[in-house]
Amino acid sequence: MNNKLSTRDFSMVISLLIIWAIFTILSPTFVSSRNLSMLMIEFSIIAILALGMFLVILPGHIDLSVGSGVGLFGGIASVLVFQYSWAAPLAMFVSLILAIITWWLMGMLVVKQKIPAFIITLGGLLIFKGSFWLVIQNSTIPVVKGGNVNLYSLLTTYYLPAYVSYTLCLLVIGGVAYRKIVSRNQRKQYGFTVENVEVSFMKVFVTAQAILLFVLVSNEYRGVPLPIVILATLATLVYILTQHTKFGRYLYAVGSNEKAAFISGIPVEKLVIMSFATMGAIVALTGFMQTAYAGSSTTTIGNLMELDAIAACVIGGTSLKGGRGNVMGVLFGALIMVSLLNGMTLLAISPEIKFIARGTVLTLAVWMDVRLAND
Amino acid sequence: MGTLNFSAKNIIKKFPGVVALAGVDFELRAGEIHSICGENGAGKSTLIKILSGIHPNNSYEGKLYLGDESLELFSLKDAEKAGITVIYQELALIEEMTVAENIFLGREPTRNGIIDWHKIYSESQQLLNQFQIDIDPTACLGELGVGQQQLVEIVKALGKKSRILILDEPTSALTEKEVKVLLVILKKLRNEGISCVYISHKLDEVFAVSDRITVLRDGRSIATLDADKTSRGEVIHCMVGREIDNLFPRNKTSLGKTLLKVSNLNVTNRKKEVLKNICFEVKAGEVLGIGGLMGSGRSELLLHIFGAWGKRSSGTVEVQGEPLEKHTPAQSIKKGLVLVSEDRKIYGLIIEKDIGFNLSLSSLDMFSGLFLLDSQREFVENDKFFRSLKVKAPNLESIVENLSGGNQQKVVLGKALMTDPKIIFLDEPTRGIDVGAKLEVYELINQLTEKGYAVVMVSSELPELLGMSDRIIMLCEGRVGGTFVNENLEQEQLMSAAMEEN
Repeated sequence: MNNKLSTRDFSMVISLLIIWAIFTILSPTFVSSRNLSMLMIEFSIIAILALGMFLVILPGHIDLSVGSGVGLFGGIASVLVFQYSWAAPLAMFVSLILAIITWWLMGMLVVKQKIPAFIITLGGLLIFKGSFWLVIQNSTIPVVKGGNVNLYSLLTTYYLPAYVSYTLCLLVIGGVAYRKIVSRNQRKQYGFTVENVEVSFMKVFVTAQAILLFVLVSNEYRGVPLPIVILATLATLVYILTQHTKFGRYLYAVGSNEKAAFISGIPVEKLVIMSFATMGAIVALTGFMQTAYAGSSTTTIGNLMELDAIAACVIGGTSLKGGRGNVMGVLFGALIMVSLLNGMTLLAISPEIKFIARGTVLTLAVWMDVRLAND
Repeated sequence: MGTLNFSAKNIIKKFPGVVALAGVDFELRAGEIHSICGENGAGKSTLIKILSGIHPNNSYEGKLYLGDESLELFSLKDAEKAGITVIYQELALIEEMTVAENIFLGREPTRNGIIDWHKIYSESQQLLNQFQIDIDPTACLGELGVGQQQLVEIVKALGKKSRILILDEPTSALTEKEVKVLLVILKKLRNEGISCVYISHKLDEVFAVSDRITVLRDGRSIATLDADKTSRGEVIHCMVGREIDNLFPRNKTSLGKTLLKVSNLNVTNRKKEVLKNICFEVKAGEVLGIGGLMGSGRSELLLHIFGAWGKRSSGTVEVQGEPLEKHTPAQSIKKGLVLVSEDRKIYGLIIEKDIGFNLSLSSLDMFSGLFLLDSQREFVENDKFFRSLKVKAPNLESIVENLSGGNQQKVVLGKALMTDPKIIFLDEPTRGIDVGAKLEVYELINQLTEKGYAVVMVSSELPELLGMSDRIIMLCEGRVGGTFVNENLEQEQLMSAAMEEN
C-alpha cells in the first residue's frame, strides 16, 4: 500500500549488488549462465518456502519445523514412487494432503491449546526428522526409477522452450505495466498522493529490463527453468492474497494487534489455522522440488532450511512480531540468502565457515529488524 | 527554604514542521495551586517538559524565572535541584518495596556504606505525619491502591525538598474517593507554602482545587483566570475559542421495540463470579448509561455480551429476539451488535496502519467477492465515513498513530458504524479526548438514536451519564445496584447506588 521506497529497500538492493560483485570478482564462474541457472533453481526453492514462512510470521507466529518437513514429505513421495511404484502425480498428491493435515493439526494446537508456535514447531522439527529417517530407512531413494523421467523429476529438470519464455515474458511485462496504470488512475481518483509519471515509468521499465535480461541469459543455457515459473505463480498468488483479499488484511491486522483484531470481529483462530495449513502445502511443494533437485531423497534433504526461510523473511523486512512485511521483500531476502550460499559453494568454502556466515547473516538481519522497529 | 514565584515568559518552542508553543506566559505564585487547561495538542505537555527541564534551556525561545533570577534548566536533575518535581500519570515507584524504601529510592541514607534503615523509616514516618497522610511506611507499595501510591510519590518529592510540584493528569486512574483525598492533601500543601501546577481534563477537579487557571490554545496562553471569579463556561470558551452552550446536547427520541434483552445473567472468569444476576433491556432509539466504580464489572458486562470475555454460568442474552450464546465478536457483529472499547490503542486500532485499513476492518465481508476485495467500493465506503465523521487528516492513507486522540476515536467509531449495527456498545467513548471532540461524539450518539439505533454507554463520569443517558444502571460489585429513569436525577443518588448505601 505504501509506495515509497524506504532506506531499507535500497540497502537490500545495494547489499545484493555488493554480494554479486564480490563473488564475480573472486570466482568469475558465478555469473556463468550455467551457474546462474542453478542459482535460479536454488532461489526458487528457498523463496517458495520463505513465502510460506511469511504467511506464518505475518500473523505473529513462527515455524521451525519446515526444514524437517521438506525432507519428510519429499521422502514420502519418493518412497511411494520408487518402492511402491505409484504414479508420481498420485504420490505427490497424497504426500501434499498429509502435509496439509499435519500443519493444520499444528495450527490447531497453537490456537486451541495456546502452546506457543515456537515450541510446537520445535517438537515438529524433531518428530518430522525422526519420521523422515524412518520412512527412507536412512538410505537413498531416487525420485524416479532407473533413469526415466516423471512429473516428480521434471519439477527441477524441465526448461521452457525459448518461444514459450518470450511469450510469457511479454505477457508478464504487459501485466505489470497495465497494473501500474490502473493503480495510478485509482489513486488519483481517490485523491491519494501519486508518484511522478517518470518514476512510475522507470519502475516498470527497470522491471521489464530485468525480466527480459533474465530470459535472455537463461536461454543462453537450457532455457527458463520450471521452478522459476512455479515461484512466479506462487509469488503472484501470495501477493494477491496478502494485498487484495480479506484473508490478507486479517493477517496484517492480527499480527499488528491481535486483541483489536478479535474485538473487530476477525476470526483470529480460524485465520491462524488457515495460515499454518497453507504453510503445510508449501512445505510439501518445497519438499518435492528440493528432493527432485537432489535427484533422490537422502537424510540431509531440508537440513536447516527453516533458518534460511526465516532469514529470507527477516532480511526482506518482515517483522518477527508480525504485521509488517511484503512479498517483494521476501523474494529479495531469499535471493540474498541463496546468492551467499551458492557463491560460498563455488569458492569451495568449508562447511564450518558456511555455518558461521549463515548464522552471522541471520543475526544481523534480526538486529536490523529490532533497530528499525525501535526507530 | 521559602517558596519563590516560578514563571515562564514568552516561551516559543518549535519542532521540525510544527510550532508547539507560539508564545506562552505562565506564572506560578508562591503557595498557589495553578491549573493548566487546554484541548489535546494545545501544548500542555510541551510546556511541562520545558518547566521540568526535559527540553533543555537552549532548545526554545523565552526564559524561565525563579523569583527574580533567570533559571536555566538543562535536565530533570537541574529542575530537581531547583526544587521542581514532576509527577506523571505512570508512577516511578517499585511495587515490591515498602513505602519508606520508595520515598528514599535513589538517595538512601547510609552509615559506613550500609543503608541506615532506622533513618529511612523514622524520616518517612515524620514526612507522612507532617502532611497528615495516613499510610504505614512499612507497608509494601503493591498492597496500596493507586490513589495512595500517588500520595507516596508526592511525599517522595517533598522528601527531596521540592517546593514546586507539577502534577500531570494525576487523577486519571483514581476513584472518586481517592480524588477527594488527593485534592485535600494538595490544599494542605498549599497552606505549607508549596506551590503546585495541576494539569487535568476534568474541570470539576480544576475548579475544586485551583486558585488560578491558565488556558492554552494552539500553543498560546489565552488567559489566566481567578478560579473564584470565572466559570466553567468561560474556561471552555477559552479552550475551544467558541461558545458551547450545552455540554450535553441529548435529544430524546421516541422509543421503538426492544433490541437487546439481558435476563438473569451470571458470568464467571477463572472460576470467580464476576457478574451476578444482571437484567436489563434496551430499546431502539434509547441511550442506556451504565455506571459504577472501577472494578464493578461495567466493561466486563459489555465484553461478555459482545462475546469477548468470561464464561456464562446462567442467564440469557437476546438480540432482536434471537438468543446469543457461546458466540464470538464476529458472530455478534453479524447479528448487529458492535463494541467500541475503552482503550482504543489496545482493543480498537491497528495503530501502525492507515485510516482506510482501520475503517473497513470489521466490514470486509461487504467488499469481498469470492476471493478478491473490491477496492473501489471499499474506498467509496471509507471515504463516506471519513467525511461524515470529519476526521482531521490529509487523506485515508494517513497512519492512525499520528492522529490526535479525538480523531483516533472517530476512526474506531467509524469502523463500528460501518458494520451497520443495530446496537452499539460504547465503553468510555470520551476518555482522553478534548472538549470539541467530546461534543462531536455526543452529537453522533444523538444522530444514532434518531436513526433507531440502541446505544449502551459505559462511563465513569457521572455528569456524562446524567447528560447523555435516557436510563441509567449503576453496577456495584458485579450486581445491579440501581436502575434509574434519567429525570431530575442527582449525582448523589447514582453514587449511593454504586456503593449500595441505600
